Amino acid sequence: MGAIMMTLSGKNAMEAYRVLFGSALGSKTAIANTLLASTPLIFAGLGAAIAFRAGVFNVGVEGSIYIGAFTSAWVGFTFVNLPGYFLVPLALLAAAITGGLWCYFPGVLKARLDVDEIVSTIMLNYVAVLFTSYLVNYPFRLPGLANAMSAEVAPQARLARLSPPSQMNISFLIAVAAAIILAFVVKHMRLGFELRTVGDNPLFARWSGMPVPKVIESVMFISGLFGGLAGAGQALGVNYRFIAGFSPGYAFTGIAIALLARNSPIGTLIAALLFGILRSGSSTMEIFTDVPRDLITVLEATVIFFAALEFSFGWLKRRRRGSAH
Amino acid sequence: MEALTNVLFGTLRVSTPLLLAGMAVLLSQQINMLNIAIEGLMLAGAFSAVVVGAFLGNVWLGLLASMLFAMLFTLIFALFVIDLKANLIVAGLALNILAGGLLAYLLVVWFNTRGVYSPGTLDKLPLITIPIIDQIPFLGAVFSGHGVLTYVSWLSVIFTSLLLYRTPLGTHMRAVGEHKEAAETAGIPVRRVQYTALLIGGAMAGLAGAQLAIGDLTLFSENMTNGRGFIAMAAVFFGAARPGLTALGCLLFGLFDALQIRLQIGTGIPPQLPQMLPYLIVVGTLTMIAVRRKLKGTSI
Repeated sequence: MGAIMMTLSGKNAMEAYRVLFGSALGSKTAIANTLLASTPLIFAGLGAAIAFRAGVFNVGVEGSIYIGAFTSAWVGFTFVNLPGYFLVPLALLAAAITGGLWCYFPGVLKARLDVDEIVSTIMLNYVAVLFTSYLVNYPFRLPGLANAMSAEVAPQARLARLSPPSQMNISFLIAVAAAIILAFVVKHMRLGFELRTVGDNPLFARWSGMPVPKVIESVMFISGLFGGLAGAGQALGVNYRFIAGFSPGYAFTGIAIALLARNSPIGTLIAALLFGILRSGSSTMEIFTDVPRDLITVLEATVIFFAALEFSFGWLKRRRRGSAH
Repeated sequence: MEALTNVLFGTLRVSTPLLLAGMAVLLSQQINMLNIAIEGLMLAGAFSAVVVGAFLGNVWLGLLASMLFAMLFTLIFALFVIDLKANLIVAGLALNILAGGLLAYLLVVWFNTRGVYSPGTLDKLPLITIPIIDQIPFLGAVFSGHGVLTYVSWLSVIFTSLLLYRTPLGTHMRAVGEHKEAAETAGIPVRRVQYTALLIGGAMAGLAGAQLAIGDLTLFSENMTNGRGFIAMAAVFFGAARPGLTALGCLLFGLFDALQIRLQIGTGIPPQLPQMLPYLIVVGTLTMIAVRRKLKGTSI
């Protein structure tokens, strides 16, 4: 697909792919940068995967990314007197909770009132982007800066970088750990069993006495929680501050990743690494071969299209019937 | 009074793409194939309206192109969901992402620009003055002097209503939406009906995009639809997929959009806060109709 597009627009596809993979995996720093690019995608992919697994189409992780990023930055530049070993977990926790709550509310609407979660979460994405932009443009405005961004977080609130000069930091390790924990929860814990049952067969879940609305709400909270952590990873580990409009749509790539991985947490981890290669290689590809990096977005869309074919069974097909009336 | 006419005039202007997109989503909902790709189709319409319009130096050809290009995208969506039995939501989302990526890609490859393409040589679609109404003090200022697509958007509501409830094709569409297998047994060409409904909607989605690109402005920007397709979808839920009620929903959301634009001028309120308003209103409205539905359900 990508090769066809490049050839159609007069580019050398082989050369572009060579540059793409070379610049994503060619050296230690290149690999670190690829892991860096994968980090928010792992979180976003996990957030999408757990919701989809329960049959809830949460498109609101993007909003949680913004809310989580701002909250973590706020903790980071407000409580500057706290020691790092306390401040960093506090900032991450705050991001996880606020990010989780951001998706929890549309989750409640979905679970209790059957309000279509696709429309509500997309609307709330716009609200999150605008609201955080308001925050750094007005109450938390830094005088003398042209761009809308918050103050820098305290030095001890920064996430340690693992392979300088790359910005790759411990949030990558947290993301990997999150994938493993989530895999365990989905497979072995009661909530995992419940969310799988609700996703596969909500009627059976209800008849067998499962608290279906509660499961949906919990799943939406966890889904948003991962979004919050994705945002915190960027704010505390890469930019050291909140920047308005910083996300290039991590959550939407996350949706492609979750679908590609068929909602398996470990599969999501692997697929996110693959998309990390594409993301980190594409900027270099653009510079050296003038193939625009937006090509990657088209590739993502292609992946989702074919995932749509896979998913013509069961869990998603059914949900449309009831909810749109 | 001045402010009121301003807001009402603005409501009709910003409702235009909502009405067109709303009718497109409504048709898809009537055949039980909710078109989540609407946002991408509008974007495709906006893009082709500006690009073709500027290239051929004729805004009307741009308008035509917006319909054709959006229908082409619809065809991809329809192929996946009708013939390949792909999941509706996932395919719709894929098309939205595809449109965003492909158009951004083409902007760079063709015009060497990122984000915004403004040809500068293109005229807007003409404004229309309605002869008699124009002279009436209040009504003239509200209803006359809109872009041509605003009037088209009103006609689209009438058209959709007539199509669905006064033609055999419309009856077939509703039958297919109600019970596909029964419709098939009754000899209705289900596949053809589904394609027709989606493609008519595609043309209207293209016009909705054209309104943003060559009706309001003469440029294309990557995020110019800004969720309007989904707002239109919310209006369809609000109106239970009935043309009149859906149009009312579009006008309601348009009113809040016009209000927030008004609130940004000369009030000193940070622009981001009013900008949030239409999105919050949509969530609030969906919640309200859900509460009503729930109360009705339990009282029986």
